[in-house]
Amino acid sequence: MGGYGDVKLLNDDGTRLDGRKVDEMRSVEIKAGILPNADGSAWVKHGLNVAICAVYGPVEAHPRKIQRQDRAVIDVRYNMAPFSTSDRIRPGYNRRSREISKVTAEALESVVLVERFPRSKISVEIEILAAEAGTRCAGITAASVALADAGIPMRDLIVGVASGKIEDTVVLDLDKAEDNYGQADLPVGILPTTGDLAFLQMDGDLSPDEFNLCMEYNQKAAKEIHEVMIKALKEKYEEGA
Amino acid sequence: MSGAKSGAEPRLVTPGEVIETSLEMRSGVGITYENNQYISTRIGWLREHNDTLSVDPIQGSYMPRSGDLVIGFIEAVRNNLWFAEINGAFNGLLPMSLAPWKVEFGAARQHMDIGDVIIARVQEVDESHSVVLTMKGVGLRKLKNGCVESLGVQLLDKFRGENNENIRNMASKSDTRIVVGENGRIWIDGEPEGIQSVRELIQFTKHCGHHKDFMAKFQEKINKTRGEH
Amino acid sequence: MVELVPQLLRQELADLAAMGKRRDGRSQWESRHIELEVDCLYNADGSAKVTWGDTIVYAGVKFEIRQPWPDRPSEGSLMCGAELRPIAGKKYEPGPPSPESIELGRVVDRGIRESGCIDLGSLCVIPGESVYGVMVDIHVVSDSGNIFDASALAAIAALRTTIVPASKFDTGEDHPLKITKTPIMCSFTRVGGRFVMDANADEELGGDERIHITLGDDGHLHSLQKGLKGVFSPAEFAEILEVSQNQCDVLRKMVESAGGN
Repeated sequence: MGGYGDVKLLNDDGTRLDGRKVDEMRSVEIKAGILPNADGSAWVKHGLNVAICAVYGPVEAHPRKIQRQDRAVIDVRYNMAPFSTSDRIRPGYNRRSREISKVTAEALESVVLVERFPRSKISVEIEILAAEAGTRCAGITAASVALADAGIPMRDLIVGVASGKIEDTVVLDLDKAEDNYGQADLPVGILPTTGDLAFLQMDGDLSPDEFNLCMEYNQKAAKEIHEVMIKALKEKYEEGA
Repeated sequence: MSGAKSGAEPRLVTPGEVIETSLEMRSGVGITYENNQYISTRIGWLREHNDTLSVDPIQGSYMPRSGDLVIGFIEAVRNNLWFAEINGAFNGLLPMSLAPWKVEFGAARQHMDIGDVIIARVQEVDESHSVVLTMKGVGLRKLKNGCVESLGVQLLDKFRGENNENIRNMASKSDTRIVVGENGRIWIDGEPEGIQSVRELIQFTKHCGHHKDFMAKFQEKINKTRGEH
Repeated sequence: MVELVPQLLRQELADLAAMGKRRDGRSQWESRHIELEVDCLYNADGSAKVTWGDTIVYAGVKFEIRQPWPDRPSEGSLMCGAELRPIAGKKYEPGPPSPESIELGRVVDRGIRESGCIDLGSLCVIPGESVYGVMVDIHVVSDSGNIFDASALAAIAALRTTIVPASKFDTGEDHPLKITKTPIMCSFTRVGGRFVMDANADEELGGDERIHITLGDDGHLHSLQKGLKGVFSPAEFAEILEVSQNQCDVLRKMVESAGGN
């Protein structure tokens, strides 16, 4: 988290700078099947974040040494486009994107029935085209819609969502200013059917009670986003039906 | 939460959806049973047949099964075998002994080379998903003419129609030969106009195959099809 | 990954070419449907999305403040780069920039630079001390053929909507970037023995060499590139150059009507 305290993030009436209530998330739009070349794909607009994701596979895992005899490996590449942030990012992998790719892959491996595809690889390419705090969550949401769109069997979807703390107040779904000047950020990946967690990160300062409230907000938001995900997945099959 | 009823309107389900059922069921394709619940694992149409709950998937890649007729592209040649790309996760292996010719060791390349297109059958799929192909059998051969198009494996049945009725109609209207591989590849041979009209029918299936009124519209389109006459 | 070229595809493309036909029913000098959307990326100072058949390309413009080159103390700089990441298609692999992506970026860069559409002198902040660097990043998200034309179109369309973020750098007020010309690229691929405009994925897979032509407003050539294995005759080039004049005019109108500075 960035600086603390000195930037005002809450209005006098308790609302946030963009007018949202503390437990209100930004708008979320999702489309499935947007990339003609991919086996499955998704576009997620969460607030001003834009993430697109392509899934390719399963295909035989190369090189041999990454093959698992009993299951598929999920190869995630989370990448921010050079123009996605306020200051241009030099193209290429960095420590941050490598870490996010790793934990995102592990989250997805927890829901995909990887044991159905021994020795295979499923590639998940997440590209962030616009970033406004919360790109890893938008990426997870996009990845699980794209996997489902590819027809890859999964025991549940995963919803990416975050809560945090600004001016000692717990709020749902931090925007850019809140992320920069807030006190804590708790991004999670939630299995909407069971409420279980497949992804968890946090930085900043939260009391156990504040953590619990963050989680409550996250669970509530996950249900809302889940509805949008299902609608996106079904849309193309129900239209013209 | 949703129930599966036979005879009711087909229902579209998504991964993670809990399927409520009062009866003891078996879980079929696209259904997993966890924590005393039936859960859908694929996007597709829910189906309850006899005592089995399953999902007819509408997306997914080709999973080879023994006996499948497939259209493959030769990707590599060794002294005594060929590897064919068959639109699946793994290449199919065609040993010299299952080729339609008597092949001398080391002479495989003289019969088939990289880029050649074949109609083959899946001989067996082992536990580690390795695929063995055969070209011994009626109609199995190296293709010398025509072209290959692709179509999602979930749409092949609709494209073919009941008892291959659509294929027969298409082939006679367009004066072409059509072979549908289970791996989502379709071989068409004939005059260019005929091939073009079948290609348009494949495109139509790609875009509209999931619509409820697809079959009626598709058959209407087939009936309007004309080749070079 | 090297793509497998089915023998039947090459044969079919040759047969069709002999009859003057194409696999998707287009004529020799016919392009696929093109959609252009501008100002579509939050955080980019200028942006465009091009959907060209099944090919999809984004371009985004960003600025930096830097020291001028010693030999050009009062000129800013322009740089076009392209990324061909694995999202674009099965044949793309992760790793450092491939020769293909570098070629794409440089060919687009040359067309824009040499057309003189940007006055580099206008990018000077304090002579000898600080200038703007303009960076156009091209991001191909779906390659179904002819990513060159789609990328060049996205790049010039993005530049035309660019706002110089001067207030961010405390160098003045935000203002539109001045673009005085609209360079357009038109590419041709040899398919079945003859050149066609705007090859799709199948035609590129079963085709041979390609030629990229970038023309300015007055029809002058600003960049040329021949790629892949093959040779062509001067007569062939004369023909495609003539065809490209027409097509560039059509695309230029599209870019100009999409809005911008």
